[in-house]
Amino acid sequence: MLRTRWLVAVLLVGSGCYGMMDSEGGGDISKKTARKGRRVDPTDVSVPKGYRVEVVATGLTFPTGVAFGERGEIYLVESGYSEGERAMRPRLVEIDRKSGGVLRTIASGEKGPWNGLTVSGGSFFVAENGADGGRIVRIERDGSQKVLVDKLPSNGDHHTDGPVVGADGWVYFGQGTATNSGVVGEDSLLLGWLDKHPDTHDIPCKDIVLRGSNFKSKNPLTPDPDDEAVTGAYSSFGVATNPGQVLKGQLPCSGAVMRVPAAGGAVELVAWGFRNPFGLAFAPDGQLYVTDNGYDMRGSRPVFGSADWLWRVERGRWYGWPDFAEGRPLTMDFYSESRGDPKGFVLAKHPDTPPPPAALFPVHSSADGFDFSRSRRFGYVGHAFVALFGDMTPNTGKVEAPVGFMVQRVDPKTGVIEDFARNRGDEKGPASDRGDGGLERPVAVRFDPSGDALYVVDFGVMRMTSKGPDSQPETGVLWRIVRNGGRP
Amino acid sequence: MSRPLSVIVWVLGALALIVPLFYGCGAERRGQPEAPAITADNPKEVKGQRLFHRWCYQCHPGGEAGLGPAINNRPLPHIAIRTQIRKGVGAMPAFGEDLLSDADVSAILAYLDEMKHSPARK
Repeated sequence: MLRTRWLVAVLLVGSGCYGMMDSEGGGDISKKTARKGRRVDPTDVSVPKGYRVEVVATGLTFPTGVAFGERGEIYLVESGYSEGERAMRPRLVEIDRKSGGVLRTIASGEKGPWNGLTVSGGSFFVAENGADGGRIVRIERDGSQKVLVDKLPSNGDHHTDGPVVGADGWVYFGQGTATNSGVVGEDSLLLGWLDKHPDTHDIPCKDIVLRGSNFKSKNPLTPDPDDEAVTGAYSSFGVATNPGQVLKGQLPCSGAVMRVPAAGGAVELVAWGFRNPFGLAFAPDGQLYVTDNGYDMRGSRPVFGSADWLWRVERGRWYGWPDFAEGRPLTMDFYSESRGDPKGFVLAKHPDTPPPPAALFPVHSSADGFDFSRSRRFGYVGHAFVALFGDMTPNTGKVEAPVGFMVQRVDPKTGVIEDFARNRGDEKGPASDRGDGGLERPVAVRFDPSGDALYVVDFGVMRMTSKGPDSQPETGVLWRIVRNGGRP
Repeated sequence: MSRPLSVIVWVLGALALIVPLFYGCGAERRGQPEAPAITADNPKEVKGQRLFHRWCYQCHPGGEAGLGPAINNRPLPHIAIRTQIRKGVGAMPAFGEDLLSDADVSAILAYLDEMKHSPARK
């Protein structure tokens, strides 16, 4: 016993105090630097032996998705928006395969972001997010647009994302939550929406019963700096809840994967209890998977140490938000920076027992768009290749080193993750801060129809400032990773 | 043991643990995808690899620093790492036997050893 105490004391001395530590994430680094523009050099990206990196297109503005035509045409979406409320016109373009320039603009929208892109049956599908909520939009080759579903609850922290078309002909998409962990707080103002949409709150997909947990915060909506607000879960800012209060489930709802017929029609629930289900993809065996961004250390109900996840989606299942992370209850010590200060649940009764995720990504890494390898020539058939946007610290929490800024390979059967494409050398973080020409912020990946080339959509330079994220237009890049030969 | 000798043993013991801790803080080993992936060579390491990705990876991705510090560069004895896992240190939570059995912890330690000696980490 004495030996154990002695060891713990020594380890504590050596570990320092996490609470006093400065964050050293990619976002923290980028706010200290002031380089403008971007250099692009594929030799600065390390990939497994036998593969090589190529540059397809540069000078893109906030790209979020890529897809391909039957004859190898490359289509790309520029979202028209970046966090920090930087708004431009979103557009769908065709990329010239030889020059990498924009061959033509197929369609554009009034409001962004347009998140994700898929092609099916000769039509394009994007997730649009505007002042009136999220939409799934079908775009024809002549640029005409049809709204398949609208008024999706995307006015909060997270958007409508990642449409994919299943073998059943339905369009599957993710809808993020309005808040970090169920409670609207001051962080919602910093994220740019509380003053514009003060009534916004999360919407349950099915009936829930609340514990009546309420959270006190400053009230930034009034001029009195001492004014406070008390807010409950699934409620507008400043609205408290009561024990046993029942909220009726609705569709569309927050934190869910839903689907709509490709021709339009009523939206259906696929699964819920996600936080920000950003990327969706079907595995070669037809199983639907989704990437989900875990909780942040912010707001009225901050959650420490939550991973990002890859979920195997089961129809009708609840995946744990806002009371579980990676299948574990938030009441565990894991999720409080100061141990002994556990989170309480906000739900009086949980709809389901959440399953463990197929894989857990690094905390704050922002696991986003992904695709599965189907080609033996490329290798790793059945493995998921996932874009990690990279941390947005200190806004989302703090880390000891930059996290993400790469593409990872995941074996969904074992949960084992390997880095597949990351910046070369000893310094971590986005290329612009390392002063080289490697990856900045990968946001999506997609195999071409042959399956032999993995395209990586790199959002471009995004720095963290005291006012929030600041993104640089015309710094996005489309990369391609191909196999030279030989077995991986 | 006489008192002066006992003190010397304790001081030497403390140095043996503290020095590697600080040594490790400055020399994280970065994995590069072009190097061979870490291979789990036997059933114990395979088990450790899966448990590591379930319980450790999110804070120490690939053994490197992330939310937590790097752990692929610390020549700590197994007893120190086991104690850290069981008791928790700083922001790192304690992993009780309800979460990880002794055999599970041993498997994770075996995988950590493999990680430290992998060409991908050199």
